[in-house]
Amino acid sequence: MTACPLGHGARVLPADSMPTQPSALFARWRDADALVPLDFRDGHEGLLVTRYDEAKEVLSDRRFSQQPQRMPRSDAQLDDGFPGGPLDDAGALAVASTNILGLDGEEHRRLRKAVTGRFSVRAGRTHRPRIAEIVAEELENLIAAGPVADLLEHFAEPISIRVHALVLGVSDDLVDRYAQCFVHGAPPQDRHDLLREAIEVRRADPGEDVISDLLANDDLSAAEVEGLLHMLSMSGRDTVAFMISTGTVALLDSAEQYRTLVADPDLVPGAVEEIVRFCTMFLTVFPRTATEDVEIADRTIAAGTTVSVSTVSANRDERRFEDPDAFDVRRDARGHVAFGHGPHGCIGQQVARVELDEAFRALVTRLPGLQLVSTGQHEPSPLANPVATYAARPVLVTGWER
Amino acid sequence: MMQIDVDRAVCVGAGQCALTAPDVFDQDDDGLVVLLDPNAAEDPESEGGTAVRDAEALCPSRAIRVTG
Repeated sequence: MTACPLGHGARVLPADSMPTQPSALFARWRDADALVPLDFRDGHEGLLVTRYDEAKEVLSDRRFSQQPQRMPRSDAQLDDGFPGGPLDDAGALAVASTNILGLDGEEHRRLRKAVTGRFSVRAGRTHRPRIAEIVAEELENLIAAGPVADLLEHFAEPISIRVHALVLGVSDDLVDRYAQCFVHGAPPQDRHDLLREAIEVRRADPGEDVISDLLANDDLSAAEVEGLLHMLSMSGRDTVAFMISTGTVALLDSAEQYRTLVADPDLVPGAVEEIVRFCTMFLTVFPRTATEDVEIADRTIAAGTTVSVSTVSANRDERRFEDPDAFDVRRDARGHVAFGHGPHGCIGQQVARVELDEAFRALVTRLPGLQLVSTGQHEPSPLANPVATYAARPVLVTGWER
Repeated sequence: MMQIDVDRAVCVGAGQCALTAPDVFDQDDDGLVVLLDPNAAEDPESEGGTAVRDAEALCPSRAIRVTG
């Protein structure tokens, strides 16, 4: 391995991070510098952004490109749970033509704008009653699975995938297969076959949903319709489920925090912001590469340098958040970068906020005695995605009368 | 007096403004920012003024500018 030009030695993402407790290395890196050397899997020596202000700067500066899509090196094991396999030409074209995280500027904007309206604050409000029903049903399923049950499998994942199907417009009779494809993992051809069925259902019977909007949009090719649906299905398959289950761990780790919400459920919206800050899932978000020399934090990032932003580290930056390692549902955590920042920020964040709000509200009002039995989230996490994100692990809970 | 400007050309539809200051900002059918009331927060010290400033700070695409 070649020495880094800054003399700090080459660096890789550490393997000892836990979803509620990032590796201590991040704090040391943050203390040392806003930008530290980071190795990428193709051998490129780039940079990691460790601090909050610089994270926002990089993520919103259009002089950084989404290309090439390098992935950071990590000592953690990679386990995305998705089998590989062949995919027909139409499916391959669909995926290639809508790689929204690999596009810049107007190309990206055109595709994003085709679906933004279905993820607005108003859309979240419209969906809230149905989301509350789904949450109530899954809460009964959690209780029925007890006296000790996995909150990830019996509550968080079903809510996440059912709401995803609702917003996108995947019909109810396809939801079980949709969950199989995009939560549990299925080969690429199975996923695309299912998405095509979902599209045909809406072509015959349009609704107020993403698929119907895509089909009504004359500006989009058939490949783009299928590709955008695939991209949106892959993007939300695990994030909300991760956040419901990991947020529950954070709340129950300090029982006082859970009791605070039990006593006053109106604190839940603020608690959701703190949960996504504290339990941020992306150790790094999709890397950016400087298209010209860029000045950040009193240094020049040379054109061609790939920069990964650690949203986990930025959300623990003591320059922005007082006592950042304390989990406090009464804190004003708004302004965190858990949903990313800039033109590629999470498109589903307002619907996600409604889901998280309803899920935690249901837990603290219906299960005030909830207790944590054990969880894989208290162990160093494998990566669910090379960019790199934490994997969701079982969260065993108890504390209700059947 | 506080002047609010929105730039729909850079808006990415994250919705933080409509969440934070719903009396002042909305999103259209494409999810892009709409300024409902340019004079909503004439007093920068008022609660409405605080919400508008928060919305400006929380916008991930710098589509909101508050001056004055």
